[in-house]
Amino acid sequence: MASSSSLRTPRAYQRGSWARLFEGLRYGGGIGQWAWLVHRVTGLGILAFLIIHIIDTFLVVAYPAEYDFTVDIYGGVFAGTYYWLLRWAFRFAELGLIACVLFHSVNGVRVVLFDLWPASSDHQKRLFQVAMAVFVLIMIPVTWVVLSALAGPPGHAMP
Amino acid sequence: MSRHLKPAGGFELAAWYFMRVSGLVLVLLALGHLFITHILHNVETVNYEFVANRWADPKTGVLWRLWDLTMINLAVLHGFNGLRQILDEYVIRRNRRVLVHTLIWCSVIVLTTIGSYAILMFEKDQNYLDQKRAAQGGIVASRSSRTVTDPAGLVSTSSPTP
Repeated sequence: MASSSSLRTPRAYQRGSWARLFEGLRYGGGIGQWAWLVHRVTGLGILAFLIIHIIDTFLVVAYPAEYDFTVDIYGGVFAGTYYWLLRWAFRFAELGLIACVLFHSVNGVRVVLFDLWPASSDHQKRLFQVAMAVFVLIMIPVTWVVLSALAGPPGHAMP
Repeated sequence: MSRHLKPAGGFELAAWYFMRVSGLVLVLLALGHLFITHILHNVETVNYEFVANRWADPKTGVLWRLWDLTMINLAVLHGFNGLRQILDEYVIRRNRRVLVHTLIWCSVIVLTTIGSYAILMFEKDQNYLDQKRAAQGGIVASRSSRTVTDPAGLVSTSSPTP
């Protein structure tokens, strides 16, 4: 990777990371830029979740009792007591996670399309609309399935 | 597109290919994983017993473990390479770049190691499952609100007792 230490950094970049962030948001506008931005944000969100998920699933091998303790928290049960708010919070967080993974996947496939067939990038706006249609079509039944489970008791025995 | 310039190869080109290939594979593996865990099954019923039965199943256990092994390694590399790409745009000074890249590589090594270890070295802890069954004996197991189809033929119930 080329180090930039031998070049003078442009003036806009000399003001530091925050300035660069805000400059980036004012780049060119348009749906393609927002798709790129949301792709980045969802990617970071998934990565943050993934780190926690790998560590908690490692408990499956290391400490089985701790694993059950942890997954019970996702069902709203902390240390033996059931908190419906906890269960609801995790359900909505789970829905958000599925939405992030789905958006990142669908937009990622769109990016691969541009890489394999460069001429398709002329239609990037239309392809983004198609991608969003796919996203919405899949999210509707998924949302129903994930949230409707809240209507019943938690999947495990209540204390 | 100019046909006279050769693209600069090296690490960045390999990383570029890797993001596309791993991304496409992950679309299948990760979305499938989400579908199985959240849609086919109720995620609240996923506990040690559920995972243990799946990974230790004599016929399909190896396949689930391979799925999860591939998924975790590709996802960690795909995700942390993405993070590297993002941070490379904001971290300019040499010392900071060294620090950030070191942290990224260390995280990759740690996460792929513990993840692969967990999947490959897992053995069902029957003692723990028997203890739990015994402790659960007095509690009436509540049925989940949707019918759960379990390929291993066991309905998982998880007791909140620590």
